[in-house]
Amino acid sequence: MPTDNRRIQGPEISTPYCVFGSSTENEDEDGCFKSTDPLSSTRKDGRALLEHRKIYMKTGVVSQAKGSAYIELNNTKVICSVFDPREIPNRVEYSQHGELFCVLKFAPFSCTTRRSHQQDAEEKELSLNLKRALEPAVCRHEFPNFQVDIYVLILESDGGSLAASITCAGLALADAHVPMYDLVTAASLGVAGDVLMKDPSEEEEKLCSQHFERSNLNHGLITVSLMGAHTQITQVWQTGSMTTTCVSESLTHLIQSCEETYPIAQRCLVKSVVDTISKKKVPEQS
Amino acid sequence: MVKSTSYLFFFISFGNFLSVYFIFQNDLRNDGRSKQDYRPIELELDIVTHANGSARVRLANTDILVGVKTEIDVPTSNRPEEGKIEFFVDCSANATPEFEGKGGQDLATEIGNYLGSSFASPLSFDLKPLCILKGVQCWKLYVDILILECGGNLFDAVSLAVKAALYNTMVPRVETVAMDGGNVDLQLSGDPFDCWRLDITNIPCLVTLTKIGEHLIVDPTAEEEECSMASLVVAVTESGRINSLCKTSVGSLHPQTLTDALKVGVEVGVGLNKALNEALGREEKRLQSNKPERFGFLK
Amino acid sequence: MDQETLVCVPGQRLSIADKNHLSGRGTYERLGYIYATLAGVVKIEKQDKASLIEVRSSNEQSIVPAPGDIVTAKVTIVKQRFCKCIIKCIGDTVLSRPYRGILRKEDVRATEKDKVEMIKCFRPGDIILARVLPMTEVHSYQLSTAEDELGVVIADSETGTSMVPISWTEMQCPKTHIKELRKVAKVIPERLGSHIVI
Repeated sequence: MPTDNRRIQGPEISTPYCVFGSSTENEDEDGCFKSTDPLSSTRKDGRALLEHRKIYMKTGVVSQAKGSAYIELNNTKVICSVFDPREIPNRVEYSQHGELFCVLKFAPFSCTTRRSHQQDAEEKELSLNLKRALEPAVCRHEFPNFQVDIYVLILESDGGSLAASITCAGLALADAHVPMYDLVTAASLGVAGDVLMKDPSEEEEKLCSQHFERSNLNHGLITVSLMGAHTQITQVWQTGSMTTTCVSESLTHLIQSCEETYPIAQRCLVKSVVDTISKKKVPEQS
Repeated sequence: MVKSTSYLFFFISFGNFLSVYFIFQNDLRNDGRSKQDYRPIELELDIVTHANGSARVRLANTDILVGVKTEIDVPTSNRPEEGKIEFFVDCSANATPEFEGKGGQDLATEIGNYLGSSFASPLSFDLKPLCILKGVQCWKLYVDILILECGGNLFDAVSLAVKAALYNTMVPRVETVAMDGGNVDLQLSGDPFDCWRLDITNIPCLVTLTKIGEHLIVDPTAEEEECSMASLVVAVTESGRINSLCKTSVGSLHPQTLTDALKVGVEVGVGLNKALNEALGREEKRLQSNKPERFGFLK
Repeated sequence: MDQETLVCVPGQRLSIADKNHLSGRGTYERLGYIYATLAGVVKIEKQDKASLIEVRSSNEQSIVPAPGDIVTAKVTIVKQRFCKCIIKCIGDTVLSRPYRGILRKEDVRATEKDKVEMIKCFRPGDIILARVLPMTEVHSYQLSTAEDELGVVIADSETGTSMVPISWTEMQCPKTHIKELRKVAKVIPERLGSHIVI
């Protein structure tokens, strides 16, 4: 990707100051890990281990876009817009299926460290995962040779960004009236030792991606997206190191979370449909 | 001070092909394999003279060449005690005309990303030994993956080649480290054979499971990949742990299929790791016997 | 809102799929059931014995022209062998993004194809009705006006006033009474009445 010369990049080498406080922070995290022992089963934010954060969803937040959605999980805030199908640029051969063009971007101020304006490797990876998660749900044969643009912007990231992005993008696609086989909802889960944490926050995610010296403990993160009506997993993404039993157990929990989120997404969409219908009815009556 | 340092090694290697076979009992596929059979795998170590470690893996028609270069870098500020590893995949148009121009770029990023995430855990690859001086100097491993020919199942072949190349990698031994004001003075061993090897025991192998109809198969050929709707890539270590898991193609899976696939994947992955280790051992022995005789008074 | 409006979302199961329940627009069949693909309102249309189940989206649907669709397009460039146009509407759905179309000389009319002269059929700026042909090229839709009902519906004369069709090959300017040649569409009033506002 060409670098943007017009934008002032700031000092070439600058380091976020928070990394220097990491030595004390690490101890804190270790403390947090101990407190998330299965025995004392509350987390820092007062949730139980297998408790999902409360979700807020809204469609039609961007008036310029064909469809849009906003999702909020406590401090994780994601906005997504979907645009009309357009021709795939620089494509010579005929493609039978339409394409999804997904761009996932963290806002520069969304994380503890500043993000650059250009898409970095992590964002590209997440974009690809997002695309893979949505592809099975969209009736891509209905728009051959075209691509639907999906732009996801993470306004604030506090863990579960990918899961939130998938749910948000799925909702935005439905709001844009792009034909879909099903709605897609996603959930994430963190594993640290024997502890499974649903919908981990940023801090907990960091904890799960580290390995503690208590030999061979499981650790890692899993994100799963699901088409609720057909119980089909559209994407699964795991990092870390786990045993097969641990993965299977996590999957069961994740599918349950996705199924819990599904009716919320449905209700949100029904509300937007009812709103547009009643709005249309008003001028007819007058 | 030279910022990045490279070392040359002259190992002469003759082509020695080793084959790894898996035989399971099941119904047959187009080429006579059962569902969980791999195609013959050929492995060659140390074939690039200018790389610190290299390997070539040929899985039927898929040909992968991996070279590892070690260079000196500054550790990141949030991980001062760790070295670095980076993967670069090159899908050149040599392999298949589809990769022409920017065609292979997406696939290259996908493979690179996925290797990155399967190496992310310290339980698969520990980056701590790569640290030279905490917060100041560390080794950075550049793993460059070249796809020479594409005959299906790139993920598995690439991971085998990467593991083999890392096994073969020689990191020069640092004799002394001195701080001279703000600068670091590294004193490397004068003997080009005085190196240490990386620990590869926990590095996972990737196993691609492809669903065709109701069947789950491993090691799909290019034709089989065309037929499939969904495939799953599992990173399995020798001890049977799952270090990464990802769905790679369009299409979705039922949760039950996914759990079944995991079981099959782990089983196959453990076998694959074992076979690779055996092959590496044999290849290493052969290389040792070919090691050039060292002469000279001041050894 | 009246009680009979059935709102649905993608993936929602609407009914069983059998001889009496057919899957229509905005729905799909899977394992013997009909599901919705759109968020919108369920419409059940009775056809003989069977009922056709359709979903109409509450807003403009994201659609692209499909072979067989009747589209409204604006002519942009007229060449000897073809003319290029921009597709504005599909049926009665207005597109928010225009798509490119191409109308070849052979597809202008059904008879005497070799006698067609493009300049005597279309001029830039004309609004035409056309049918989408199966897609062969990547970046443009092939169109056809080889039907009585298809062809030019709105055309401006040189003075800029809308012309009135006087035969299937001619249109006349109401001000200057100059006749111009066009491949005129025989507009069916009840379907396209709103188009001919002079």
